[in-house]
Amino acid sequence: MTQIKKIFPYFIAVVAAFIAAGIFIAALKFNPFKAYETILTTSFRTPNGFIQTLVKWVPLTLVSLAFTVPLSSGKFNIGAEGQMLVGAIGAAAVGITCANLPAVLLVPMIILAGILAGAFWGLISAWLLYQFNINEILTTVLLNFISFALIDYVATGPWRDPAAGHPTTIAIGENGFLPMLVNQPPLTIGVILAAIAAILVYFYTDKTTSGYELVVTGANPRASKVHGINIRQMFLFSMIIGAGLAGLAGAIEVSGTQHRLIEGLHSNFPTLGLIIGLIARGKNQAVPFVAFFIAVLEVGASAMQRTLLIPVQVVLIMEALILIFILLSDLIRRRQK
Amino acid sequence: MEQSAILQMQGVNKTFDKVVALSNVDFELKSNEILGLLGGNGAGKTTLMNALFGLYKMDSGKIILKGQPVTITSPRDALSKGIGMVHQHFLQINNYTVLENIVLGSKVSHPFSANYKTEEVVIQKLCKQFGLDIDLSSRIETLPMGTRQKVEILKALYRGVDILILDEPTTNLIPQEVDALFQTLKIMVKEGLSIVFITHKLREVLTICDRISVLREGKNVVSLSRKDASDDMLVRAMVGEGMDLNKSVIFSEDKSRSGKTDQKPTLKLNGVNKISAEKTQELTDVTFTVNAGEIFGVAGVAGNGQRELAEVVMGIQPVSSGTVHLEEQDITVVDTKNRIANGFVYIPEDRLSDGFLNKVSVAHNLILGYHHLEPYSKKGIINWKNVKSSSMKMISEYSIKTTGPDEVGGNLSGGNIQRVMIARAFSQPSKLMIAHNPTRGLDIPSMDFVYKKMFESSATGMASLVISEDLDELLLICDRIAVMYRGKIVGILPREKFEKYEIGRLMSGYEQSSEETGKRA
Repeated sequence: MTQIKKIFPYFIAVVAAFIAAGIFIAALKFNPFKAYETILTTSFRTPNGFIQTLVKWVPLTLVSLAFTVPLSSGKFNIGAEGQMLVGAIGAAAVGITCANLPAVLLVPMIILAGILAGAFWGLISAWLLYQFNINEILTTVLLNFISFALIDYVATGPWRDPAAGHPTTIAIGENGFLPMLVNQPPLTIGVILAAIAAILVYFYTDKTTSGYELVVTGANPRASKVHGINIRQMFLFSMIIGAGLAGLAGAIEVSGTQHRLIEGLHSNFPTLGLIIGLIARGKNQAVPFVAFFIAVLEVGASAMQRTLLIPVQVVLIMEALILIFILLSDLIRRRQK
Repeated sequence: MEQSAILQMQGVNKTFDKVVALSNVDFELKSNEILGLLGGNGAGKTTLMNALFGLYKMDSGKIILKGQPVTITSPRDALSKGIGMVHQHFLQINNYTVLENIVLGSKVSHPFSANYKTEEVVIQKLCKQFGLDIDLSSRIETLPMGTRQKVEILKALYRGVDILILDEPTTNLIPQEVDALFQTLKIMVKEGLSIVFITHKLREVLTICDRISVLREGKNVVSLSRKDASDDMLVRAMVGEGMDLNKSVIFSEDKSRSGKTDQKPTLKLNGVNKISAEKTQELTDVTFTVNAGEIFGVAGVAGNGQRELAEVVMGIQPVSSGTVHLEEQDITVVDTKNRIANGFVYIPEDRLSDGFLNKVSVAHNLILGYHHLEPYSKKGIINWKNVKSSSMKMISEYSIKTTGPDEVGGNLSGGNIQRVMIARAFSQPSKLMIAHNPTRGLDIPSMDFVYKKMFESSATGMASLVISEDLDELLLICDRIAVMYRGKIVGILPREKFEKYEIGRLMSGYEQSSEETGKRA
């Protein structure tokens, strides 16, 4: 009963967002009911649609966790974008330079390189915070810009693919491609890696003493400090874990989807990651589910554009509206007290 | 001679988010009397008066002022009807003068200048009339608490009130200032005012009040004139039937503590100095020892370095110089985590900022600081089953009002948050407890329970450092009391030398220099 009570405001917020966006679609002279039918059913009508949804779910879950894990300790990691890109660079670098290693070695190395490179990018902000108390929101955002320059440099530098018209590197070694879970339509074990990551995050924050310290630091840093918790260490730690998760997302994009480094491979995932993290209200265990829902919308949106010629941006509007309505429902609940 | 009622409140109800604060309360104030509104914490005294003063809206109820039914919607409204209130926390501007604070917000004769000559004359007259000796040109921040309170009273008098509500007016006063306040109240009544005196201290109402109304759990219990009142019946009215007074610490006849301290020092501070980042000297040459099994009190007016002392002992803030020893072992540089592991327990003063986690569950709160110990966790993995069952036990033993271990901490009331902190502090065997205002916000039976727990623990050898602004509390439970003034220990008295006025004198820093020479001699 209480569970239903808790979920109810979310349900209302989603319905309200659909109605509001529906008015918008109707104003554009399209049929909102047909649009919603396409958006909501594409993922479940065909195996292809479902697998596409899972493929989107992988990076969405990981970049959202990159935001929510630091948020558990009260820190805002807005740099999942940069961390994902640097993770992708690390993965591509290993995949290209060690192209001839056997797959048993190369795949884990690529994944690990991605995680470490992403974590390193987060470590810069975390260390500035730890050592000099520099605001992490600022440093993570600014490091995003540096990462754009970095990926430009790598994709147009020594590993450039001369045949491509867009800044792109040559492909990584074939042994470095993520193994397939389903061949047609293609689904790699990336989905398993993301699921494992989400479960580990849940286990860590909910079941371990270190995770407990992370959560209480986020709840009240001063009281945590008074009771012997090294809160600055928790800040540092959570930022690095978050960044490592974003790096993993980058590595999976490189070795699972693109097989090379492409400028812009982060797509709109990091932005959606923030939205997902906020809709989940920073709850790590809710992130995979919210991410799945958003993945359904995203896949449905491209189908809607293909078949009904409704611009895909409509879905972005809807996602933003869901977030706004959920925040509103918070406000209303607080007022009622 | 029966006086007429100047003010009546009838059938007042007020609920806060399902919590019933007042239920069908009646209240009557007669003219020219001091009415004691007595009750423990959470009894609803302040809520009732805040409703009268227009700070809260009553759910239902009537106010009849001088025979006329009135509605009061705001403090300004209340003041215009002649009702003034002095809160526990003064609303004053620190770097303004007394005069400026008094006229602030009232109509002045020269509204576009800082010329308050006319007002000054009026206020001077009021001072003389009520025997309030205040220099109107001194700045608020330079004044002791007792004088600041006089300013607050003067503020109300200047606005022409004839009913004055005083909310726990003796909280931050030393005994000498309390006496002076009582003198003032008597003069005010003689000059035609009617006064409501909110307090939880029995002795005060018996000293000063003409009539006494007792509230408990938001309900009227009894109203009677002082000459009909006795200690016993007021105590019973305040605490209810459930409490066994003979076994209580607060009301027992035998005020002696067994005091079986075996002179084995648990905590030793030697020449501790603490200078803040802003270069202010917060602690100066603090030296004392707390023995095993001893309850060592620290008295002082709030803000004289007590908080810094607690945090230095807990290792939350570093010392600038000096040493801290635990059982002969130098722990000056040991961090908080390791002090807790070595048997330190802390009940911080500011529970909301330093002690409690609003956003997570009650269970999370109950294990904070001990989460890495068995049975709560093993090898870094938390055993939530054990945590839950221990939490259930603590919730029932300490009568914490909550729906269960999973309830979000933020839903708890102030008194219950304090109970969580107490439960947490006593949940572990410890060598040293640092308790800063440990009973703030607790009702009388809960206070008594805390004292009993402390006595039990001290009987097993736990040393306690109790820092409190409530001098009566310290006099009741401590073996020795140290007095702090401006970051210094200005005197340490053993139990047989406890004397309220002597401690009050030390607290206010009078003759501090001669005291120091005396100590040295």
